[in-house]
Amino acid sequence: MPTERIELEAPLDDAFQGVIRLVVGGIAEQASLGLEAMDDLQLAIERLLAETGGDGRVKISFELADSGGVRARIGPLREQPLNAALRESDGETGTLSLQRILATVVDSFGVEREADGEIVVRMEKLGPARS
Amino acid sequence: MTTEERAGRTAQQREDRELLRRYHEDGDTSARERLIARHLPLVRSLARRYAGRGEPLEDIEQVGAIGLIKAIDRFDLEREVSLATYATPNVVGEIKRHFRDKGWAIRVPRSLQELNARMSGAIDDLTGLLGHSPSVAEIAQSLGTTTEEVLEALEVGSAYSALSLDAGPGSDDDNDPMDTIGAEDEEFDRSEDRVTLSPALQRLPDREREILRMRFEEGLPQTQIAERVGLSQMHVSRLIRRSLATMREELG
Repeated sequence: MPTERIELEAPLDDAFQGVIRLVVGGIAEQASLGLEAMDDLQLAIERLLAETGGDGRVKISFELADSGGVRARIGPLREQPLNAALRESDGETGTLSLQRILATVVDSFGVEREADGEIVVRMEKLGPARS
Repeated sequence: MTTEERAGRTAQQREDRELLRRYHEDGDTSARERLIARHLPLVRSLARRYAGRGEPLEDIEQVGAIGLIKAIDRFDLEREVSLATYATPNVVGEIKRHFRDKGWAIRVPRSLQELNARMSGAIDDLTGLLGHSPSVAEIAQSLGTTTEEVLEALEVGSAYSALSLDAGPGSDDDNDPMDTIGAEDEEFDRSEDRVTLSPALQRLPDREREILRMRFEEGLPQTQIAERVGLSQMHVSRLIRRSLATMREELG
C-alpha cells in the first residue's frame, strides 16, 4: 500500500486546538499508535504551535509510514521564536525548553525551509513495532 | 445509629478537635496533615455525587480536597460544630464552583461525558492486561463503542478548563493544597539543585513539577509515572499539558 498522505489547514486559534487534536488522534489511530504515542504526538504539535505558531493559519501534513508511525510537517512557523525555542537549553531558562519537550515526545524532528522561504518543522513518531 | 456508633463518632470528633487545636494554636502542621488524611474519605464520598458529569472522579476529589483544606484552615475553635459538618458545605461549594467556573465551556453530550468518565479506568486496566499503552481501537472494543467516540471522549476530557494550579487553601500565605497532599520526593529535591528553576516552574505544585521531571528528565512513559504518583494515565496526561501551558503563559 502506498504511503497515505493527509493534509489539514486550520486557523491558529485556540478554538481550533481541539479540532487539530482530534485530527491528530484519528491519524495516530490509523497508524496503530498506542494511546501514549498518540498523546505524545498531540502534545508535540500543540506545544510547537503554542510557542512558534504565527497569527494566521497553519498547514499540517501527515504521512502514514508503511512500516507504521506518522510523519508530520507543520508550518509556516515564526522563524525567530522557533530558533530561540530550539536553541535554548533547560539550564539557561530554568524551565522546560521546546527542544527538550520535542526530543522526549517524538522520535525525530528537524527544521526545514521550504522553497517559498517558509519555515516548517518535520517530526516523526514511530509505530508500535519500533517505538 | 447505635450507641457504639455514636460513641465512636464522638471520640473521632474529640480527636479532630484536639488536632485542630494543635494546628491553630501551636502551629503543628502535622496535625493539619492528619486532619486532611482523616477526612479525605468524606471528600471522596461527596465527590462521587458529582461523578459522571464528564470530569474524572479524581479531578473532582482533588477540587473537593481544596475545600476540605480551606475548612480546616478557617475552622474556628469556638464553634460548637464538628469538622465534618463544617467541612461538608466547603467541599461541596468548592466542587460546585469548579463546575460553574472551570467546568464545561461548551455543551457536551451526556453520553460522551459518561464515556470519558468510564475510559480512565478502562485504559489503566487495558494497560495492565496488554502490557502496553492500548490503542484507541482496543479501548473502543473494551468499552463496546467506536474509535470515533473514544477520540471524541478523549478530547472532551481535554476540553474543560484546567483547575487553577495556583488555587490555594485560603490566604496568600498558605501553601498550595497539592503541596500538602503530595508526598515529598528526595529525587525531586536533588533535581531542583541541578538547575535554577524559573519562577514559572517554581510556581507549579510539587506534584506537577515532579511529573514533568519524570517525563522530561527521566523519560518515563506516562503509565509508569501514573503508577508512581498514584493517578491514572489520563490524569497524568492532562497534568503534563496543563503544566506546560501554564508555564508558557507565565513566560509570556
